[in-house]
Amino acid sequence: MGYPDYMYESIKLVEATRPRRAEMAKEGLQKFLKPLSAEEREKVLRDNHPDYQPEARKPIRVGPNKGEHLTSEVVDILERPSRLPRDFKLEPVDYETDVLVIGGGGAGCQAALWAAKNGAKVILCTKLRLGDANSMMSQGGMQASVNPGDSPLIHYLDAIGGGHFDNKPELLKIMTSEAPYIVKFLEELGVIWDKLPDGHYQTQSGGGASRRRMLSCRDYTGAEIMRVLRDEVRNHPEEITILEFLPALELIKDEEGKAAGAVLFDMETGQYHVVKAKVVVLATGGFGRIHIRGFPTTNHYGATMDGLVMAYRAGARLLHMDSVQFHPTGAIYPPQIHGFLITEKIRAMGGQPVNAKGELFVYPMEPRDVEASEYIQECKKGLGVRTPDGQYGIWLDSPLIEILHGSGTIERAFPAMFRQYKRFGIDIRVLPMLVYPTLHYQNGGVEIEENCHTSVPNLLAAGEVSGGVHGRNRLMGNSVLDYNVFGRRAGIEAAKLARETEIKGRLNVDHVWEYEEELKGEGIETKGYSPLLLPEYRNLESLKRHRTEFDPFAPAGL
Amino acid sequence: MTRMPYYPGCTLKTKAQNYDLSTRAVFRELGIDLVELPRWNCCGAVFSLVTDDLLRQVAPITNLIRVQELQGTDSVDDPRLVVPCAMCFNVLKRANARMKDNPEDLKKINDFLYLESQPYRGEVQIIHTLELLKEISAKRIKEQVKFPLLGLKVSPYYGCNLLRPKDVAIDNPENPTLLEDFTQALGAEVVFNNRRLRCCGSYQTVSEKGLVADLVYDIIMGAARAGADLIITACPLCSFNLDWRQKEAMEAHSDHKLIPVIYYTELMALALGIGNGFGGEHFVDPQPLLQKFLEKEKGGI
Amino acid sequence: MTQDLIPIYIYSRKYYVPEGSTIITALEYLGFKLKKGVGCKEGFCGACASLYRLKGDYKLKGGLGCQTVVQPEMQIVQIPFVPAPKAVYKIEELQPDPEIFVRYYPELYRCLSCNTCTKICPQELQVMDFVQAAVRGDFEQVANLSFDCIMCGLCSARCPAEITQFNVAMLARRIYGKYLMKKSTFLEQRLKEIESGKYEEGYRELMSLSQEELKNRYFQREIDFQIT
Repeated sequence: MGYPDYMYESIKLVEATRPRRAEMAKEGLQKFLKPLSAEEREKVLRDNHPDYQPEARKPIRVGPNKGEHLTSEVVDILERPSRLPRDFKLEPVDYETDVLVIGGGGAGCQAALWAAKNGAKVILCTKLRLGDANSMMSQGGMQASVNPGDSPLIHYLDAIGGGHFDNKPELLKIMTSEAPYIVKFLEELGVIWDKLPDGHYQTQSGGGASRRRMLSCRDYTGAEIMRVLRDEVRNHPEEITILEFLPALELIKDEEGKAAGAVLFDMETGQYHVVKAKVVVLATGGFGRIHIRGFPTTNHYGATMDGLVMAYRAGARLLHMDSVQFHPTGAIYPPQIHGFLITEKIRAMGGQPVNAKGELFVYPMEPRDVEASEYIQECKKGLGVRTPDGQYGIWLDSPLIEILHGSGTIERAFPAMFRQYKRFGIDIRVLPMLVYPTLHYQNGGVEIEENCHTSVPNLLAAGEVSGGVHGRNRLMGNSVLDYNVFGRRAGIEAAKLARETEIKGRLNVDHVWEYEEELKGEGIETKGYSPLLLPEYRNLESLKRHRTEFDPFAPAGL
Repeated sequence: MTRMPYYPGCTLKTKAQNYDLSTRAVFRELGIDLVELPRWNCCGAVFSLVTDDLLRQVAPITNLIRVQELQGTDSVDDPRLVVPCAMCFNVLKRANARMKDNPEDLKKINDFLYLESQPYRGEVQIIHTLELLKEISAKRIKEQVKFPLLGLKVSPYYGCNLLRPKDVAIDNPENPTLLEDFTQALGAEVVFNNRRLRCCGSYQTVSEKGLVADLVYDIIMGAARAGADLIITACPLCSFNLDWRQKEAMEAHSDHKLIPVIYYTELMALALGIGNGFGGEHFVDPQPLLQKFLEKEKGGI
Repeated sequence: MTQDLIPIYIYSRKYYVPEGSTIITALEYLGFKLKKGVGCKEGFCGACASLYRLKGDYKLKGGLGCQTVVQPEMQIVQIPFVPAPKAVYKIEELQPDPEIFVRYYPELYRCLSCNTCTKICPQELQVMDFVQAAVRGDFEQVANLSFDCIMCGLCSARCPAEITQFNVAMLARRIYGKYLMKKSTFLEQRLKEIESGKYEEGYRELMSLSQEELKNRYFQREIDFQIT
């Protein structure tokens, strides 16, 4: 394994320019390369970003956002019928609780913890294991203004500019002003932040940030926070019941139209379970696994947009679902790790993006959408490096980090990345990484307000499934922050709401049938159902003699 | 400074930190830098007599491989492994002997330890801190004493692990003199307790407190009858039992006399003038005695 | 592009899969719909722990399904998770005292130092070394050595002393992070500033700007990566 021989021609060019580029980095790259102006940003985005390409968006024909242009693949999934059979009965109820949290990632765990702290009985259900989520995978860090010379206001300004000024200001104010508290809260739970010997946080810069504001836990930031939150959730067995391998299929409402539970589905046995709850918190995460425009993804296997589908059918408004985040640095070689995340912290610590000739062609710290667009443009110009299967990538010159920060830095600060490449015979201390943008994050989602309410009564949302705080482009380190801040708020609000709530009348899923009527009314006939629950990677050839009637996941068209 | 590999053992990192700290300090004063093995694991705690369960010998042997690894570098001058804990010393030395006597066992263990950087060759030498002090010689120790412990009546206690079985004994198992010689070198008065080789009760202390308390009563009263102010030991478990089980001994026997128990290295540190108070929790606090003594000594200078 | 197929055994049956497949992509290629034993697919979550043996090698190996490339004649099974005791505790009531291991995970002291845990670890961590560090109450060393643990559970499945290494380490890391790391004094200051409303006026002003003014403010903002 390792790189094919022909790539070494280009690697030599990278090595040739490396000493000079190291000098530039030491003097401060800002002196040599300027971030793009507003006009330049717009141009490079329009010409290259996948969101701006023809057919990237189309109008949705049903539901609360009817008529709006959303990402085409999102529309396709939203315009499918439910998996529930028409004769479905909600009796008997299997579980009853104050608060049902759907999703076992970071937002779900925070919500469950804070709802429990505030006196609510909680059920947390999750499709896979507790903690199996994108939260576990974030590498680079979490933003919080914990340095003098920085402030929540500067954080706010960075994030709203990165989000193209579309962020909901009141949400962004909450997120940026509560960030330092989250740092403290997590530390009190036992999260091990990277620190300097004097106790101050080690901070890095991040794309689109104007200060060093990125706190990290080596390059296992998400994993460290997630496993601590998971452990803490499991420390409350009296208050929180955890249901693993039980995804939700549809929300349940009461006769007043309030969210009042969910139908869960055991994927192994085919069994349904009905949960009755006074408040539902949606924390189901994002949509990387729907592979928008065929891009590979950094996302978790379970990131199939399930919560968004359920909420939309229940009448929740969506926001910014026309924008998709492509992370500039996904691995494009070796093929076994195609699309995997290469943390932005590599660039934050001095790893530079260079083309096949070894030229540094872009300011490495642009917001993600701009940076990704620049890489796509460079490859279009013919200055990318070809992979054996005919794709193109850009070098991310990791060995610079060892030059700038001393040898041993990569193993210490990037143990996950180092290990990842070592498994495939590439030593990133001496060889650069080949990268190309990869599908990373759902910028928008179910619209929420300050206390995580959606437009459906008693349905709250937090984390990647929700929309508004990041506008149309999230900055690095703001998703970990988002799920912590709003997961917590959702939990507190859910407990309060549960105390005030009375479920009225018959439990029903009438909204699902009404939605299906609307689809029929528009003459929409699609193959397959939603939510997807699991992505499809089976080799269709191997399913030639497949009996679809035994398989709730049978691919459409088999 | 002569650098030697050093194995503290788990107890010296937890309950008996005072033994660890005083040992390092004392040997530094005597020109020996104890280099803690960079990676070490529990010695096995008790030497397993089971002959068909070789897995129990893996723990001690892994540690001896660590010594070999250190010997391959330039970080030690004298390659022998220094061990202060009597328990660890006993386990490591017996496991080592078993490997030397049974090359087949050694081969099996090495096959099992394929992840290690090198097989164990069976050649590491293990030396107890008291043996090392003997090498340094009572004469030299005496020369370095700043505060001779004149008038302090010290009763050495050996226990079992340093002397049994005789193949691993650091001295004559029936009539050892190491601790006595050492005590004299510090200027203290040796008090002979004819219970000094008795078992302290060992791990029975967990489940059979009463039984251990009776043993301890017998040992302490032996020292008391001989007029001891203080007992010294070289074993964390002996030390714990002799000290803490005096509580139960006192409750069960109205004539019980409380005597403080410390490590010989602590006593030595006092005499060498490098410190009093390496921490450690005691039932019978030795500080009133030691403080009083120190003041007298210092006042005399 | 044509790929060579190689034979592998999954749950004892022989199949042919493309060379270069990982265990997970091999399963998917063969038509397995993965509902368990799969997670992040990038080596961070430990959901796809797998056991395998290679042809001609008696050693039982462990790996992550998403990170392990199949080899000819490899025999594979998956272990979605390992049942494990998890101590329930109130973190705020604990002390950084080795005694907490005695209380919550007494089996820890059964460690034979056999190193079987280290042999199986797909992250190549020195598992036994951190177990031993826990035995002697060295929280910092447990935290450092176990930091990259993804809690896949293979160590615990193989341990002859039936220790749950990953949960012991979890407890140790939390104690270390909460009680033993030095605190940031500036964080407290920043929190007081926020609590006292120091930034409220600034927020009001920023939020009242027109889109045009906000854009100007943003593109003219100072970029400063120095920490003062």
